[in-house]
Amino acid sequence: MSNVCEDHVFSKVFKTHSKTVFNYIFYKFGNEEKAHDAVQEAFVKLWQNCAKVSPDKAKSYVYTVANNLYLNVIKAEKVRLKHADRHVKDRTIESPEFLLEEKEYKDKLDNALNALPENQRTTFLLNRIDGKKYVEIAEMEGVSVKAIEKRMHLALKSLREHIDGI
Amino acid sequence: MQENYLAKWLSGELSDEELREFENSEEFASYQKLKDVSSKLMAPDFDSEKALMRLKDEHIANAPKVISLNPFKKFLRVAAVIAVLLTGSYFYINTLNEKVSTEFAERSEVVLPDDSEIFLNADSQISYSEKNWDKKRNIDLKGEAFFKVAKGKKFTVSTNHGTVAVLGTQFNVENRKGFFEVTCYEGLVSVTHNNEEIKLPAGNSYLVINGKIISTGKPNGSLPSWMNNESSFESIPLQYVFAELERQFNIKVSTKNIDKNLLFTGSFNNTDLNMALKSISTPSKTRFTIDGDKVLFYAGNTQQ
Repeated sequence: MSNVCEDHVFSKVFKTHSKTVFNYIFYKFGNEEKAHDAVQEAFVKLWQNCAKVSPDKAKSYVYTVANNLYLNVIKAEKVRLKHADRHVKDRTIESPEFLLEEKEYKDKLDNALNALPENQRTTFLLNRIDGKKYVEIAEMEGVSVKAIEKRMHLALKSLREHIDGI
Repeated sequence: MQENYLAKWLSGELSDEELREFENSEEFASYQKLKDVSSKLMAPDFDSEKALMRLKDEHIANAPKVISLNPFKKFLRVAAVIAVLLTGSYFYINTLNEKVSTEFAERSEVVLPDDSEIFLNADSQISYSEKNWDKKRNIDLKGEAFFKVAKGKKFTVSTNHGTVAVLGTQFNVENRKGFFEVTCYEGLVSVTHNNEEIKLPAGNSYLVINGKIISTGKPNGSLPSWMNNESSFESIPLQYVFAELERQFNIKVSTKNIDKNLLFTGSFNNTDLNMALKSISTPSKTRFTIDGDKVLFYAGNTQQ
């Protein structure tokens, strides 16, 4: 059986999960620097304990370490996300009104996301950006799938209410 | 609509009927837009290659530095083990018994914690626990010793032939190969031999030679004769007399044409070998020659 202590196994685990660990911490706290550090910390811990952590446990191990790292330690900052602009390439002409509307909507979405409770925002973004299934998010957060569905439902509800100004 | 239907809608888990109902609701358009736009969101750039490089450079490459501290840790570990062993052996040694032994032609006197006295004859050994002496007065004896026991709790002398128990008295125990003799000089001694207990009043001896109990006469005086530098015997087979002679003078005795089971009654002086040899040879009608530390006894009528 392969061992996380082997360089190629460790590198593979790193490449597969480091991005999600980074995003996970970023969604929670909105702090890029801390998210980078969390990746380093989590995988150093994994490396140090590589003999004790089997490859299939490595994933949940790094999430747990990253999650515990800043537990109640740092204050959440504003989460700033980038918006992919796919229109640029397939459309040559965009009306100024349309562009303005788009810009306004994105701003509203950003504000609405930052207004969400940390656990709802993290769940929502892990699903929307990283394409994580509810069951995977449940595993990362250490809660039931049902709890994740609840967070997702509430997140969608309050995002819409916030954006539509209800 | 089922619970958390928005989440179910996003993951495509709504039933057709529920989906139709939701699509017809007035807020559907808003949710649809939210779904579309949020799928185009992007997290900040993260270069996993670079992050892995940084990890290896800063943390894993530094691992040898961490290892370099290990020799000290190892030293601490070894030191801890040694400390445990030292304390362990200290306590172990503390519980070990006190031992006093004498060589051939040697005698020794031991004063026990309760002022009882033990006089060790040649080639004898006693051991006892000094720590537990107050709780249990027990002596393990090999060889011969005379005891002056201070009054107190039961005092026992354990030998491989049997045990001798007293309260406070003076007695002599001789425990040699095939030979076990207890002589009581004062008080009352209880001797257990082969699970049989015998009360031995003052002025009596109890003798077992090769498992056979032999009745003996009363001892002379108030001390065993060896305490006065004399070894005395009453109807004792010659082999034990020779054995005692060897012990007292640290010599080697051999015999020729002599029946070593002949009974000998008499005594020899423990300080003068020539005198002692004559003391044995005259009554037993034997002769002897001395060669260094070797003595040969031979029958009087043997041609030399």
